[in-house]
Amino acid sequence: MGKSHISNNIRKLRFFRNEMTQQQLAEKVGVTRQTIIAMEQDKYSPSLELAFRIAHAFEVPLDEVFSYHPEAEST
Amino acid sequence: MSFQEKNIAVSLSIFVAILGLYLVRVFQMVQNESFNSTNMFRLWGTIAVLAVVGTILATIFTHIVGGIVHKVRTNEDPHIEDIQDERDQIIDLKGTRVAYTFSSIGVALSMLTFVFGQPPLIMFSLLIFFGVLAQVIADIWRLTLYRRGF
Repeated sequence: MGKSHISNNIRKLRFFRNEMTQQQLAEKVGVTRQTIIAMEQDKYSPSLELAFRIAHAFEVPLDEVFSYHPEAEST
Repeated sequence: MSFQEKNIAVSLSIFVAILGLYLVRVFQMVQNESFNSTNMFRLWGTIAVLAVVGTILATIFTHIVGGIVHKVRTNEDPHIEDIQDERDQIIDLKGTRVAYTFSSIGVALSMLTFVFGQPPLIMFSLLIFFGVLAQVIADIWRLTLYRRGF
């Protein structure tokens, strides 16, 4: 438990989208701000649908938002 | 702290109070030698009503007090995140699973009292004790998942 093996660039992408707030992103993708915070801190890996909604909100492909690090499993 | 976390924290406080009340009442009954089925089932009813009313009051209390505190601290109208998104639902389910696990262990332990020749009253006392304890542990687990992540 704890840190996920999936990392993301949500914080960076928000910054490059006119410093979009966590609340604005949360409203755009239909979750609470707490969930956005948890994802930014790598404390929660979203469902596939939510991942696509976030990528769609930033208008970028999914792999520009999320990346998987399998090596983290063995450490 | 999100609305869901506050709600769980208030619910946890209420169930800890209910558990404390239950233990004190059982202890009193044993001391007064009034530990009989009539008093025990009355206590069962009281605990069940308190649990239902407590859960409803916890939600109302969190809405009202949370809104007032937010208004006083930020001078903004309260924005209560009362939607339950996928993360909240997963945490809720994980908590429920923990509650079922502890309830099952509790039921098994309660049944064991028959094996040791204890009267059914002991079994019923332990059943409700483990039921409320399972709820307390589930709430603690939910809060842990909110804090630690998963």
